[in-house]
Amino acid sequence: MATIAREAVPHDPARREQRQPTLREMIAERDRLTAETGHYYGVTELSLRDSDPIRYERFYSKLHAAVLAARESARFVAASPGSREMGECLWGIATPEGDTLAVSLGFLSHTVIFPTSIRYMADNDYDVNDGIEDGDVYAVSDGLTGGVPHPGDFYSFVPICIDGEIVAWAIGINHLMENGAPVAGSWATFSVDTFMDGLVCPPMRTGRKLKQESWWKAIWERRTRAATMNILDDKMRLAGCAMILKATHELIDEFGIEYYKRAIREVIEESRRMVVDNMRATLVPGTYNGCAFRLVKYEGLQNVWSHANKNTLIHVRGSVEPNENGLLLDAEGSSRWGYHSYNATPGGVDCAVFLGMINSFSHNTKVTAGIDLAVQRNYPKGSIYNPDNEYTSNANLWAQTVALNSIGFGAVNRAMFARGYLEEVFTVDGNWGAFQGAGTTADGTNYGFTNFEWLGGTGRGAWCYKDGEPLVWAAWSQMATIGDAEEFESTVPPLFYLGRKLLPGYFGYGRYRGGPGNSAVHWCVQPGRHVALTRPNGGLSCTPSVGIGMSGAYPGPGSFMISARGTNLDDLIAEGETPRDARELLAQVEAGALKVKNLEIWKTDCPELALKDNDLFVDAAGSSGGWGDPLERDPRLVIADLDSGICPDYEFVSNMHGVVAHRHDDGHWELDEDATRAKRALLREARLEESMPVENWWLAERARVERRDFAPEVNEMYAQSLSFAKFRTEFTRFWQLPGDFSFGEAEV
Amino acid sequence: MSTSSEHVGAERDLILALDAGGTMTDAILVKPDGTFTVGKSISRREDQALSYYESVADAAQMIGLDAETVHRRCAADIYCGTGMLNSVLTGDGRKVGLVVTRGFEDITVMEGGLTYLGQSQAEGLHQQLHRHTRQLVDPRNVVSVSERMGGGCYQGNIHLPAGHTLIPVNERQVREGVNKLLDQGCEVIGILFIYSFVDPRHEHQARDIARQEIAKRGVEVPVVCSADVAPVAKENNRLKSLLFQCFAAEQVRESLLDVERRARGLGFSGRLLTLLSYGGAVNMEYPRLYETMISGPIGGLIGAQFVASQLGLDNVVTADMGGTSFDVGLLVDGRMGIARSADIAGHRLALPMVELDSVGSGAGSVVWVDEYKRLHVGPDSAGARVGICHEFDRLTVTDINVALGYVDPDYFLGGHIKLDRERALAALKEAVADPLGLDVYEAGAGVLAIVNAEMNDLLRTMVAAKGYDTRDFTLLYYGGAGPVHMYGFAEGIPFKDVITLPWAAGFSAFGAACAEYMHRYDRGLRVLVPARADTAELAATATEVDRAWRELEAEARAEMAAEGIDPDKVRFRYGVAMRYIGQIESFDTALASGDMRGPEDIRAMVEAFETMYSKVYPEGAKFSGAGYSLTEVSIEAIAPKPQPRLARHALAGSEPAAQARVGTREVYHQDAWVTFAVYEMKELTAGNVVHGPAIIRDPMTTVVVPPGHEMAFDEHLILHYRASAATH
Repeated sequence: MATIAREAVPHDPARREQRQPTLREMIAERDRLTAETGHYYGVTELSLRDSDPIRYERFYSKLHAAVLAARESARFVAASPGSREMGECLWGIATPEGDTLAVSLGFLSHTVIFPTSIRYMADNDYDVNDGIEDGDVYAVSDGLTGGVPHPGDFYSFVPICIDGEIVAWAIGINHLMENGAPVAGSWATFSVDTFMDGLVCPPMRTGRKLKQESWWKAIWERRTRAATMNILDDKMRLAGCAMILKATHELIDEFGIEYYKRAIREVIEESRRMVVDNMRATLVPGTYNGCAFRLVKYEGLQNVWSHANKNTLIHVRGSVEPNENGLLLDAEGSSRWGYHSYNATPGGVDCAVFLGMINSFSHNTKVTAGIDLAVQRNYPKGSIYNPDNEYTSNANLWAQTVALNSIGFGAVNRAMFARGYLEEVFTVDGNWGAFQGAGTTADGTNYGFTNFEWLGGTGRGAWCYKDGEPLVWAAWSQMATIGDAEEFESTVPPLFYLGRKLLPGYFGYGRYRGGPGNSAVHWCVQPGRHVALTRPNGGLSCTPSVGIGMSGAYPGPGSFMISARGTNLDDLIAEGETPRDARELLAQVEAGALKVKNLEIWKTDCPELALKDNDLFVDAAGSSGGWGDPLERDPRLVIADLDSGICPDYEFVSNMHGVVAHRHDDGHWELDEDATRAKRALLREARLEESMPVENWWLAERARVERRDFAPEVNEMYAQSLSFAKFRTEFTRFWQLPGDFSFGEAEV
Repeated sequence: MSTSSEHVGAERDLILALDAGGTMTDAILVKPDGTFTVGKSISRREDQALSYYESVADAAQMIGLDAETVHRRCAADIYCGTGMLNSVLTGDGRKVGLVVTRGFEDITVMEGGLTYLGQSQAEGLHQQLHRHTRQLVDPRNVVSVSERMGGGCYQGNIHLPAGHTLIPVNERQVREGVNKLLDQGCEVIGILFIYSFVDPRHEHQARDIARQEIAKRGVEVPVVCSADVAPVAKENNRLKSLLFQCFAAEQVRESLLDVERRARGLGFSGRLLTLLSYGGAVNMEYPRLYETMISGPIGGLIGAQFVASQLGLDNVVTADMGGTSFDVGLLVDGRMGIARSADIAGHRLALPMVELDSVGSGAGSVVWVDEYKRLHVGPDSAGARVGICHEFDRLTVTDINVALGYVDPDYFLGGHIKLDRERALAALKEAVADPLGLDVYEAGAGVLAIVNAEMNDLLRTMVAAKGYDTRDFTLLYYGGAGPVHMYGFAEGIPFKDVITLPWAAGFSAFGAACAEYMHRYDRGLRVLVPARADTAELAATATEVDRAWRELEAEARAEMAAEGIDPDKVRFRYGVAMRYIGQIESFDTALASGDMRGPEDIRAMVEAFETMYSKVYPEGAKFSGAGYSLTEVSIEAIAPKPQPRLARHALAGSEPAAQARVGTREVYHQDAWVTFAVYEMKELTAGNVVHGPAIIRDPMTTVVVPPGHEMAFDEHLILHYRASAATH
């Protein structure tokens, strides 16, 4: 295995005579053996498992117990509610090359990007000059060199060494509350390049002997707006890594180093095989395409950086193809990178698309790098997922990569549905949102914040046999929870909740409807010198394909925000009628009860919103799509939704589902079956009248394509996507256009 | 046998402890000479008083008494049931109405999104399986009231103070809401307002108004405030505590009082007690009765606390191996660790609960091999059906113990049940040995090695994760299977001592009889102790903590007086929950005394926190420079209660009497057949030493003494396990 610098092993002079491979050489060997044999590290026989399965399972049990215990103990050190409460953290142990051996609970998909940092350190000879020692501490938050999705996620790597050899890495990760970008918070919206992304660290040693260097504290204090929280989160990551390091040394003492070295390879190869088996057993082969679109609205917001002063429509394109070795996830045809914060690096996009993959195929296996090997990826160079520019910003990648995950996860669902695994399949959604910002109280105290609540849980889309549920899962963590208002409120001094609830009617309609999304109302009281916020979103400015409906249903509606600045809120307080959610606020404005000087509804990313006394900020997120034709919904379910208030608008649902009902004095609804039958018949006739033959539609649309009769952002998007051969072929074949058809030069 | 209870008086020399499970109600009757008998009856949910009577009568007749005599002579009567849990699981509780802060109407449906509770990592990963739990309140019976109170901010006093009224309680909405709930037939009303743990006055104001409206109607509907049930942060957890109290506790209180009336009717002159989830016993008047929801695993720790106090042990690790799990607990300086929240039946409550770590391998756990040749133990369990050697249809850990010879198939429950060893062997071969390509006995030994190792890991990590050294701890093991597997789960761990008792199988029930009469009180605070706090700041903090403690003491005395306890006999233990400023989680810190007179006492409190924190986390995780935040103060109020006492016996020689040795048995132990001597537990006396390889049989359990080790009986008949002093 790899060595640390020879000079760092004075206690074992014999080793000086036995040059061991460097990290770089080890990675090359792993890659070669894996490529040549099709098995991880060339492990074609699971000899340890087969010769003594009991010892083998015991080995893994101890390894797994170490990371589980690390999380359960260390997370209590955390400052941020996201880490302590919401699963926004993870601990893992990896091979010397960075391949995952075991992970704790938490946001698991980060496991697939561990190798990126290790490869960077190897390629840059960290182990040769000036060496890597047991208990060193490395910090990483860079997407390009560390594979980190965005700088808001921070990694700690701790090497575990035996007699000078690196034998493993203990790794801790969590999502920071604030990371020091020009736009305060955790996702630097409106960045145009990496230099605006906040505290971005390529792999760098920040501590030794399980203790950070003194200067590292100064970095948090001077380069972020929530130093105390970030320092404590840093300590939390390190505390867990220290436990894993200790447990790993004990494990190797017990089993011996040679057993350990062989077993870690077998564990990964074994789980790779199981994942591939799962894929073969549950998916119908084929090509499952999907696409989504995300608007980047920078025009007018980037006057200082003219090269970024434009709007962009991001094309998110993905396909899934099951094959003998697992499946291929291909993002070719997606947009090129741009001067905005929505780019990803391969590590970052891996982190997104493996959310669905781990959920679907690893739940009954050891969670290791085996899944990494079973999912082949194609992120073409130059695309938004693999920029050919090393300065791109990736601060807000989640705002569009969640769509790619939904496409992949949705594709898996379609393939499973085709195979008959009906109980496994639902309408997948990647909707999320969080608000962030900074302020200064009247006494001059500065603070930064992020409220993760709607990151922690969303409604789930419909199933083919039942409605989706409210606030039941989170695509990025198996530990759905929105935390507590009492905890989040205490982190932002002048903001107070006036509501935190489900948003009626806020879901995709269908034979079965999606689970409703959520809405919160935040009230500004005595903001002091300043408080302002922004709100990055994974469900905002997107086409509905993010929360795609299945089999004729409507998708989940997108996220939105409302800023109501300059209000008569005191009047409503006196009446006890303060707005509780986005819908109620708009109704009160319409009715004249709530008077607002500056009411803005944000369906795109909002600029920084400064708030004054009695201003309101309202968000809505986490809705989900339906399944099946809305006209086939059981009318009794419609009545139940009207009675419960989950569907608050009779006229709307009557036209949506073709259901006629009457309301009694006590508020309950009664179905009119005959009128319902008649209305459904009329609606079906109307559908036929509105429809046209596919051939006619195709001809009309083709003419439009030939004229390039689209908004400039759409034309540019197609120009970018057509610069990739696969999409060009698909596009020109479908529309029967010349092979050199063009929307103009693809420009960044 | 071995134990002894204290003679409380000529007429009151018995202690009763009952465990009313879902199927059976067990009664432990501790006699004046220390022995105890076990009575059983079928649990009748509709008439617990009858089950109680039948179970006690069954125990009584075994010693030639009747239920009336036992009750007249009973000094303490402890009753632990699963009624509340059953009520939650089956949805059979009171119709609850809930009044919440405006804007939080959906809190019961959303329940914080917590849908993964109680799941393994594999289940958690498979998100398709996540579901909300059964609701304890109909969403139509939730009304809201305009009100808001601020809770302060974690950065300290930089904005509006904690307890600041942002929006006053809208009294009209309270009246309208309560009347709506009454119209809808609600039988109990709960009130949950945001930040009520900081200051309960908004909730109390609403409560008083609600009571007025209820009184106008001339009905009896209890009103319960979250601040009175669980005055701690996190509204979602506080809500669940409130709902458990409203939905299940008040209803169960009635049936518990029925049991008490039955006991008193039979001649019992005291109050019936039940166990709190964090140790201690209370009577049925206890206002927060939901805190008795989970009492099953607590008994063992209470028993351990009792044994530790009798033997003068400071630090004890408990290991309880029953049918479905292996539970490990800690006593440090004689005190139990308390977790700050509890996950019960898919709900997370703001309920202090004895801290236990568990793995899902018990004697009844199912053993199986999957298509990838992975060996699994559990989570399914045979329960009372033992295994394929008895009435179950799958291979269990007990089957393997029978197959390999550890457990005598002809002496299970003293021979009342005959186990089928051949069936166990055949199942072991089919389910494990053949799929793994192993010899059947090697396979069995391998499974036991895995099971033992998993428990061994838990024991090590439970102690190490808390920052302690096992050499400072005595391991006390019990549960029906504990003595069978001790040789494995204790292997290689350097404990100060490893002990068990002859009645290990009934130790949890025995522990219930040992419970102190105790209440715990927590109060949320928002007090900062800056890193460079001056003397005046420290003095002010001391005053605030002192006031909180004194108020809690007064509350405890008043509540206990209402329960019939002499307030002058109540004593207290003190603690705080602290964290570094900025942290989101607080850490319980036990304090040596409740003196809080000035800056020095605050400094001592900070020192205690730092000491506790340093034991758990590495140096790099400390952050003293940030200062400290004091988030809760707590007290435990303890009142006198009759207790058992371990009897002393004259020490005999080390050689057991001839009649104690009843034969030999061949056991496939680890990797070879070994001849084990077999002893009868009841024939062994104080001073005896049993050398391994040996098995000590008892109708309720089997003690395995492996080669190279011995088991020594001390003057209390406690069994000490140690490496053999000499070869025999």
